[in-house]
Amino acid sequence: MTRFAVLVVVVALAPLVLHYPELETQILTFGLLAVAFNLLLGEMGFLSFGQATFNGVGAYVAANALIAAHAALPLALLAGLVAGGASAAVIGALAITGRGVYGVMLTFAFNEMAYYIAFQWRDVTGGDNGLRGIPSPALFGLSLDDATRYYYFTAVVVLLAFAALLRIIDSPFGAVLRAIRENEDRARAIGFRVRRYKIAAFAISGALSGLAGGLYAELFRFVPLQAIDLDTSTNVVIATLLGGIGSPYGPLLGAAIFTVLSNSLSHVWSHWPLVFGLIFCAVVLFFRGGLWGIADRWGRRAAHA
Amino acid sequence: MLRTRELTKRFGAHVAVDAVDIDVRPGTLHAIIGPNGAGKTTLFNLLSGELRPSGGSIEFADCDVTRLDATSRSHLGMGRSFQRTNVFPKLTVFENVRLAAQSRTDQSFALWRTAASLPAVNARAEAALEEIGLLGHRAQLASELAGGDQRLLELAITLATDPVLLLLDEPSQGLSPEDARRLIDRIGALAARYTIVLIEHNMPLVMGLSDEITVMNFGRILAHGTPAEIRADPAVRAAYLGKTA
Repeated sequence: MTRFAVLVVVVALAPLVLHYPELETQILTFGLLAVAFNLLLGEMGFLSFGQATFNGVGAYVAANALIAAHAALPLALLAGLVAGGASAAVIGALAITGRGVYGVMLTFAFNEMAYYIAFQWRDVTGGDNGLRGIPSPALFGLSLDDATRYYYFTAVVVLLAFAALLRIIDSPFGAVLRAIRENEDRARAIGFRVRRYKIAAFAISGALSGLAGGLYAELFRFVPLQAIDLDTSTNVVIATLLGGIGSPYGPLLGAAIFTVLSNSLSHVWSHWPLVFGLIFCAVVLFFRGGLWGIADRWGRRAAHA
Repeated sequence: MLRTRELTKRFGAHVAVDAVDIDVRPGTLHAIIGPNGAGKTTLFNLLSGELRPSGGSIEFADCDVTRLDATSRSHLGMGRSFQRTNVFPKLTVFENVRLAAQSRTDQSFALWRTAASLPAVNARAEAALEEIGLLGHRAQLASELAGGDQRLLELAITLATDPVLLLLDEPSQGLSPEDARRLIDRIGALAARYTIVLIEHNMPLVMGLSDEITVMNFGRILAHGTPAEIRADPAVRAAYLGKTA
């Protein structure tokens, strides 16, 4: 609870300290995507290499709801959430039939297919020009067409989603996911229908990813094709491993660092991924718990001293 | 309680289990013994539902379970242990057992409750740890337990599912003689409350423990009877006891 309180304070104060509300909003939406991804990896032990699929589906559905149906923002976000969850349930149900690396490759393959569909289906996605013409955000008549306001709106939504996820992780359902991660056969032998839990976990992860996509679409009122491409899926994996998979706070931290570095370094030096790659290798090789693991250890030590 | 008729498993041309009839009466400890390769583990996997039989039938508590999978059989009250230690390594001892107890509730899809605050589940888990003598280790990670204790934990997990019948697959495998002794003593204590099918390679261990023994060799039943009858059986002595008896 105290950690969550610290998170709320950090999120609330961030725009006052750093005056880049768009960048900070991006951290939040990307953070939500990473946290959703880590429900599968950190809790259930399944590496989804196609997390951008659900992000993209959510973004396109929410954006089209806003453009074509003139839906209210909460409704559009809800549509993105449902679409993300539904697509993840279907893809998850197929992907988990492959064990180990085959399952990973299936999520990867479905991502590639989703990307290709988005690339071709210009009426809905705008193809490689991206989807434009999304109306400016408003909430019950209140305009959110201001970067700081939209940041705070996003912050509330993301923090609520994160709190929900923390609850799910602590729930009996979350406990079963860890049982599956630790020993799938034993989980089955003590009477859990493993497949159902896996599909449900995919649906939840996909729903939160779809929500992240919807929030992202409204940020720049634009959905680039990158929202659904494999680079984004890879970035989610990298940011999460960087932050650490042992705690839901790890992916948030990783997403923040990744977003800040990729934005600032790319202005300075176009070969920034080289630097980032080195940092990433160092963390994965020497700090298995990720940066959150290190921070957590420091925190405990400070608490003891 | 548990009955097989003409139970058969073929792997290609090889018949691993060949028309086996076994009757396990309620309240007994029934050991199935035999040399390596006799088909014990295959038989065990047929009983627990890990393998589908090529022929024959399995009845449990007057219910035909031949076509049911392992998860369904678990819910009917057949609790199995594994030959190799099979726990949830990076979870605490208590969480290992708590999960097994949770599997008996309809709460496992509850997203909005806290797993640690299901009173009936916690009570069931504690009772299982108590019964097996691991309550003192509850906060340790399963992977940090000594080998013998892990095997006991494995048994506690099975007990926490509230089984009627325990299927135990070579529980003493890989344990030091002292740990094996300790485990067998625990199983002896459990025999008062459960019907047990015990598959075991180490014959002296089961002799004092069992009510009935079935001896297998080459996938078939070689002999069946009380420990005294088995000890006296000339065919068994020839096939199996030769060196040890």
